[in-house]
Amino acid sequence: MKALEVENLICGYKDKVVIKNLSFTVTAGEFVGIVGPNGSGKTTLLRTISGLLPLTMGEIRLEGGNFKNLTRNELAKTVAFVPQLMEPVEGFSVLDMVLLGRTPYVNRFSFESAEDIQVAKWAIKELQAEEFTDQDVTKLSGGEFQRVAIARALAQEPKILLLDEPISHLDLRYQVKILKLLRKLRQQRTIVATFHDLNMASRFCQKLMLLKKGEIIAYGYPDEVLTAENIWKAYRVKAQVKKNPRTKRASLVFLP
Amino acid sequence: MKINKKNILYVLLLALALLSIVSMLLGPVFISPKYLFQSEILWQIRLPRIILSALVGIMLGISGVILQGILRNPLADPYILGVSAGAGVGAAVAMGAGLNFVFLGMSSIPILAFMFALGAVLIVYKLAQVKGETSTETLILAGIAVSAFSSAVLALIIIITGQLQSIYFWLLGSFSMASYTDIFTLLPYLLVGSIFAFFYSKELNALLLGEEMALTLGVDVEKVRLMMVIVASLMTAAAVSVSGLIGFVGLIVPHFVRLFLGPNHKMLVPTSALGGAILMMGADTLGRTLFSPIEVPIGVVMALVGSPFFLYVLRRRYKAKR
Repeated sequence: MKALEVENLICGYKDKVVIKNLSFTVTAGEFVGIVGPNGSGKTTLLRTISGLLPLTMGEIRLEGGNFKNLTRNELAKTVAFVPQLMEPVEGFSVLDMVLLGRTPYVNRFSFESAEDIQVAKWAIKELQAEEFTDQDVTKLSGGEFQRVAIARALAQEPKILLLDEPISHLDLRYQVKILKLLRKLRQQRTIVATFHDLNMASRFCQKLMLLKKGEIIAYGYPDEVLTAENIWKAYRVKAQVKKNPRTKRASLVFLP
Repeated sequence: MKINKKNILYVLLLALALLSIVSMLLGPVFISPKYLFQSEILWQIRLPRIILSALVGIMLGISGVILQGILRNPLADPYILGVSAGAGVGAAVAMGAGLNFVFLGMSSIPILAFMFALGAVLIVYKLAQVKGETSTETLILAGIAVSAFSSAVLALIIIITGQLQSIYFWLLGSFSMASYTDIFTLLPYLLVGSIFAFFYSKELNALLLGEEMALTLGVDVEKVRLMMVIVASLMTAAAVSVSGLIGFVGLIVPHFVRLFLGPNHKMLVPTSALGGAILMMGADTLGRTLFSPIEVPIGVVMALVGSPFFLYVLRRRYKAKR
């Protein structure tokens, strides 16, 4: 089943078109990594699918339904977005923070329901952050807070989870931890995330999309996308591609 | 320590009830509990005053919570932002220019006060916005400017109409003229305002994450902001038209509630309402008993307590940032 279909998408900001005629589909349950140099439109693409930027032209379909027909609240129940940097809310515990993800479901006429709390706790558990449940969010380390930020998005119970550079400001240990958790989560939902680290993306994503200046250079399995020729096209960097003997995934060595 | 959060509401209600009994007994004349309910002083003077102070406390407390929520700044307060002063100009225009009439069963004073309060808050909001964010500095400076301008206009109105005494004392903020009419004037504003604030607390919560995250959580940010600004101005204006300029309630009360219960608006709105009522009633009881028979206007009491508190919070905020 197709979770996300993008057709002839043109979008960007008022004075600047960033995405130029993009078309692709993502099958339900896939973990897709979007890679490409700075300014290639990775973030713009995610923000447009999240409903933060208007689409100038083209169409986005979520599980076959047209994106434009969804209300903001319906969209929030379908797509959740984890920004590159989220600010912790002063005075909130981890549970409070994750409960914010229930906003599209919370009944405005009463306090948070038992179900909302149950879902929030489930999301915290999925991200292996139970030990922090009652802790102050401002006291967490970057890697711990990133898990809370993802749990908050998961509490929205979205069909599609979008993450903007979820690992770029974390140390190696947390990078691997977050990616492993995401790979596990994909069994229940579609994940699209942007990355700078090509090797990490290749190691954990099922499919990669290589963008440059708002256009797709290659889209497919990591070893199809990460070829020396494609890397040169996108980054103007010479690289040698090897296959990691253990993971069987494409792995890059950059040449001087 | 874990506090059962919903019990806090009952504790506050109980405290409010106890305080109102104490407040009924105290005053220039002490009424013995035995004869309390036969006393004319109670029914004619103290009771309306106590009820009015509680209602004003509720409205200013909730206005503070709303303004802090939509501006994402814990230092926002209707008085500091110049909303109260704006409302004051509106009310003074109504009083001074003889525009005091009844329109569709509602007094014109709160309506004019509301229009000016809304104008003031929109000006402050626009002035304080730098690239979509409102910084504390610009917010406070814009509030000072609007307050100063409003004070000047108020002085002009006083000079032109020659109603120095009545308008000046009203400006200081006082419940000494409290009447049942004032209570009925306030009630519709209070009901509409507090209901809206509570029903929109999930949106106020989402806004804690910032405008963009609130959007991805399904919140129509522009609409909610405008609606909440209107609700806060409406409540501040109604409070100002019956009791004059009383500051810092909306700053102090939510601050303490957050300290104990965190920033979840589902709790913050009702507890700040009750906390505001307790603070106002307590401060007014102090004001009228401390130097009895001389009465200290509530606005003066609150400024004496509130200004140092404001400086303390401001200082702490800057320390925390470093």
